Amino acid sequence: MNKKRGKITGIIKYIVVAGVGVIMIVPFFWLVSASLMTLNEFISVPPKWIPANPQWHNYVDVFHHVPFLRYYLNSFIVAISVTALVLLTSAMGGYAFAKLNFFGKKALFRFTLSTMMFPAFLFLIPNFYLVTLFGWTSNYLSLIMPFAVSAYGIFLLRQFIMGIPPDLIDAAKIDGASQFAIFTKIIIPLTKPALATLAILTFIGQWNSFLWPLIITSFSPEMTTVPVGLSKLSLAFSTYTNQNLILAGMVLQIIPVVALFLYMQRYYIKGIVLTGFGGI
Amino acid sequence: MSKNRLRENVAAYIFLSPILLFFAVFFAFAVGFSVWISFKQWNMLISPIDAPSIGFDNYSSLFSDPLFTASLFNTIVYAFTTTVAILVLSLLIAAALNNIKNAAIWRFIYFAPSITPAVAVGMIWGYLYNPSRGIVNEVLGWLGVPAHNWLTDPRYALMAIIITAVWAGMGASILIFTAGLKAIPQSYYDAAKIDGASRIKMFWAITLPLLKPTILFLLITGMIGAWQVFDLIYMMGANAPASSVQVISLYIYNTAFVNLQMGRASAAAMILFVIVLIITLFILRIFRQGGIESYE
Repeated sequence: MNKKRGKITGIIKYIVVAGVGVIMIVPFFWLVSASLMTLNEFISVPPKWIPANPQWHNYVDVFHHVPFLRYYLNSFIVAISVTALVLLTSAMGGYAFAKLNFFGKKALFRFTLSTMMFPAFLFLIPNFYLVTLFGWTSNYLSLIMPFAVSAYGIFLLRQFIMGIPPDLIDAAKIDGASQFAIFTKIIIPLTKPALATLAILTFIGQWNSFLWPLIITSFSPEMTTVPVGLSKLSLAFSTYTNQNLILAGMVLQIIPVVALFLYMQRYYIKGIVLTGFGGI
Repeated sequence: MSKNRLRENVAAYIFLSPILLFFAVFFAFAVGFSVWISFKQWNMLISPIDAPSIGFDNYSSLFSDPLFTASLFNTIVYAFTTTVAILVLSLLIAAALNNIKNAAIWRFIYFAPSITPAVAVGMIWGYLYNPSRGIVNEVLGWLGVPAHNWLTDPRYALMAIIITAVWAGMGASILIFTAGLKAIPQSYYDAAKIDGASRIKMFWAITLPLLKPTILFLLITGMIGAWQVFDLIYMMGANAPASSVQVISLYIYNTAFVNLQMGRASAAAMILFVIVLIITLFILRIFRQGGIESYE
């Protein structure tokens, strides 16, 4: 009796999981399928599900019709630079907060955490004013510098570095190692898993970032990133007719993050479980 | 000894110097600047020092602007509906995924939208919701549901965007719930089974109370995120009447970077900040009363 009931709940479970799962997959399936359609198939009524002949050249054409390579390069430059800076500043700050004793430590750490409470929208106008003041609007610094430090990153690495046994550091001190040597030779190598988690979260967050690049690149379009470039084409439906090419662009936009995710899944999930965000 | 301490202090501040410099400029100055500007009428074309101070006019004029109050209302609807729907659905799915075959594959499928750029999610669903060429109406047609103009009809636009937001946001919550469920010792359930407890009873008496920290965490992070939603509304709400889909973040963006009313936009951002803060403290309070002493 009980076994039978267990089996029935098992089946119900599976139907729920698979049913909702189909809803999760179909939009992606449609995206890939539509990215291979001709324009006529794409705009046909009723909608087509599968192209008669997959138009693989859409993926080449998108580079000719829009400056997609430029977008891609811009996105990579910004995402990689921000990731490198966040890793460096978070490791430095995390080390200081975890292992060094200094005046004002507790207050500074609380302050760092409290900055996370402030919504990003509070910073749009002052940061825009600042990057104009510094003369950065026409170069990548405007897209990179406002994200060079992450309070979350400092917190994550502080937690991780606290777990490094003090004996290791003490032994190095007795050998006469400087703080800089301890940081680069002991702390950094032992912190790699946490750095990997932070790296993947930061990279994906920046790769997908939209609002700030949207504001900055409206003044300097040559720095347009992939999400901003595609959104402009997509919203200009009436004037830009090659909508099916945008879908190919979108697939190309998603591929790097999915590849990175699959490659570093373990670290990414650790980050998600710790933060609750799909990016920072 | 004191020489060592001094050296440690110096070393610590050298390590912290880039961070402190960053926070001084991009946090402390920025927050102060926002507060200052929210009392001024500034269009960004002149120096902010020369901009006239107008006291609380920016704040009071916001509440007499019907578009702002509509944005506030839409944000409340969006934030609460999205957060609660994600919470309930992802808990159900995480529970169903527990001990199922090939759970990792299913989890990846559910998680895929979470790593997809929100802009792309908005664009894809924009096409899916297209009244004549979109597959949403096509599929609903098979089920006998009449076609609707999902993203242009003010009655449906916000709801359609919320459905997309739930679709896109469930994955991360499922992962977090899965971690929470795995942390509950099996012995609790075994003991309850011996006492003859039903599955539903076990869910209410064991699973839910022990998941409280997880639920609190997801409620707070979900609310904070949902109150600031921008990308999805920007991509999907472009063709609906503004008053039916506009949210505060979009109002701030348009006021600042389209209409160049920086003071007014700063005032709206301050209001957004205060609301998010109050909601966070409120959720924390409810859960503390429910028996969670400290969640940090």
